[in-house]
Amino acid sequence: MQKAASDSGGTMAEIQLRKVNKRWGSFVGVDNFDLTIADQEFLVLLGPSGCGKTTTMRMIAGLEDATDGEIIIDGKVVNDLDPKDRDVAMVFQSYGLYPNMNVYENIRFPLKVRKVPEAEHDERVRRASAMVELDDFLHRKPAELSGGQRQRVALARAIVREPNVFLMDEPLSNLDAKLRVSTRAQIKNLSHELKVTTVYVTHDQIEAMTLADRVVVMKQGKVQQVGTPTDIYDHPANTFVASFIGSPAMNLMEGELRAGTFTGDNVSISGLTGPDGPVTLGFRAEDAALATDGAGQITAPIYTIELLGDATMLTVRAGRQLVSVKAHKEFRAAIGDMVSFTVPVPICHLFDQQSGMRIDQQPGMRVAAT
Amino acid sequence: MSTSKAMQQSFALRFSSGAFLAFWCLLAAFPIFWIAIMSFKSPVDAFAASPWDVITGPATRANGDGLSILDIVLGLCVLYFAVRWAFTRLPELVRHYCPPGIIALGWIFGALIYAIGFVLIFFGLLPLILGPLNGLLGPLGTPVLGLTTEHYVAVWAENEFYRNFLNSMLVTAGVVTVSLTVGTLAGYGLARSGSDLAFWLLILALIFRALPHSVLVAGYLPVFINSSEILAPIFGEGAPTLYGQPWAVIAVLVAINQPFTIWMLRSFFQNIPAELDEAARVDGCSHFQAFRRVIMPVMWPGVITTGLFSFLLGYNDFLVTSLLLDAQNQTMVPAIAGYFNRETTTTDQVEAVAAAVSITAPLFLLVMIFQRQIVSGLTAGAVKG
Repeated sequence: MQKAASDSGGTMAEIQLRKVNKRWGSFVGVDNFDLTIADQEFLVLLGPSGCGKTTTMRMIAGLEDATDGEIIIDGKVVNDLDPKDRDVAMVFQSYGLYPNMNVYENIRFPLKVRKVPEAEHDERVRRASAMVELDDFLHRKPAELSGGQRQRVALARAIVREPNVFLMDEPLSNLDAKLRVSTRAQIKNLSHELKVTTVYVTHDQIEAMTLADRVVVMKQGKVQQVGTPTDIYDHPANTFVASFIGSPAMNLMEGELRAGTFTGDNVSISGLTGPDGPVTLGFRAEDAALATDGAGQITAPIYTIELLGDATMLTVRAGRQLVSVKAHKEFRAAIGDMVSFTVPVPICHLFDQQSGMRIDQQPGMRVAAT
Repeated sequence: MSTSKAMQQSFALRFSSGAFLAFWCLLAAFPIFWIAIMSFKSPVDAFAASPWDVITGPATRANGDGLSILDIVLGLCVLYFAVRWAFTRLPELVRHYCPPGIIALGWIFGALIYAIGFVLIFFGLLPLILGPLNGLLGPLGTPVLGLTTEHYVAVWAENEFYRNFLNSMLVTAGVVTVSLTVGTLAGYGLARSGSDLAFWLLILALIFRALPHSVLVAGYLPVFINSSEILAPIFGEGAPTLYGQPWAVIAVLVAINQPFTIWMLRSFFQNIPAELDEAARVDGCSHFQAFRRVIMPVMWPGVITTGLFSFLLGYNDFLVTSLLLDAQNQTMVPAIAGYFNRETTTTDQVEAVAAAVSITAPLFLLVMIFQRQIVSGLTAGAVKG
């Protein structure tokens, strides 16, 4: 075990979760989670609170027992192993620093309990603290540090051991917006440098998009979609993923598809392929374009207009639904004015109205089954 | 000083609240203050009708035991500097000369040297200098305040009060050790467990806490009296009779105290986030290592506060100790009660008062040493618990 801990370069830290379930009585926390996380992959578990993403991570860490299913790290079933024997390092949402120790001792603690030779301690602590730019704070107590510094101590404590797997449980959610951006960049850079398999839990879709090699979107314990950030953004598997990813969320309009023509309130788009019947049509705000001559597929009165700086966000009322469209930053109009815009067929997504599942139009797309 | 105008109190309010505070302090402190004075006077003065005589002690002075103005001034000076040094120079020296690993040991060692030094100067050097000086100074050197330590000598040496002191220490040490060991483990377990069993255990502890102490004594008494028969199958012929032994008292006091320590320590543990345990577990600790190396260092204020309450229970207990201990194992509180009960001279009464004053000294010392931890422990419990 010690050998593996001090020498992660040689080990393959592939994590396999085989039909993992977590139930508390009749409540299902995680439902049939089945996934292989490749060595050195940065995987983000994304979902609203209570979707089971943190529980999944805690099961990998060994802080929570899986009700059934197998968790395999580096080819070894770890279900019955203690957290300390799984060679994982974890960064907690509220840091979990030891308040009685100074920064140096906090970072050194894993080396001390794991009985790494004393002679290596100083060098490794200093290397880890340099990576997160904490050199000047080594003799402070956690209480004397700002939130961002504390989270960096937690990061340093995780990397000092050079573990096989990093687990990060919403590490940025206690930081203010500006610090979040810079720490996010730091985490991205660290993971690139350390090349360690990382599982990262967040409810923030921007963090997921920026950090991940692959994203797992979860809802109520069920995996909704697994894919690269581009996959998830461009080809959402269902209406939940479509509305969760992206800012603003994807526009979803209910209507009828008949002979390739979608008709809804104030909408008519033709040239689509799909079975006839009630469907939900989705498109992203930035993919629609304003039609100057009033000949677009959607023509509706403006509900509100927001200046974003780099663009102008229009929201129009199309029947019962509000639809957002990104316009040029110079665009100005009054609330209530009629506007018209075009929605190109290739960027339209069709979803089944009952199940919310994607109705696949383009061939060769990877969509995870639920 | 920098209080804003809106927050300033009117003079009348300040005066009346100050006056009330002074009156209340006097009222609360009076008994302690009065017995402290009495214990240093000869019986005639201690029970004098005029309070002024009790304070100045003319009869004590007439016996040749008294302090001159010079004695008082010099004595107060030494005391003042002793206290100041204890709070400034002593910590400095300990920090400077003691390696950081054994700081607790350094403190004990430093305090011991300091105490010996103080006793040597105050009781050895000071009288030696003051004797000839008083003779030279005339009116300044004549005794004005009667003061004698004869009752303390009588109580501690002749009445062998030190035996009671040692018995008290044995009983309290036993109670504190057992209560805290079981209490921290149980409190930690119960704080971290969400099971129904944990809840019912706590309710059960609460019920035991509510029982009158005498019920527990009555329950244990027959067992202790017959313990040699009960224990004979295990220990053979030499099985002890527990009745009258300090061990019996420790067992009963722990039974009284344990529910309270478990509840109190549990609430302290609950204030420590579970993330700390989890971080330690992931960092490489076993369950017990996480408890010992991560949780306990954070818990010290709670342990010390709970330990102080356990100490007070054992130290001040009268009912259990007076019922269960035989004469040679008697602790201080029942021993003092015994002095007062004796139908004898006023000298015995003053000796009893001196004994009563002496048993408060360790409490003062204890609170002084641990005041910071006790305050943080008490307020942490008050704010978060």
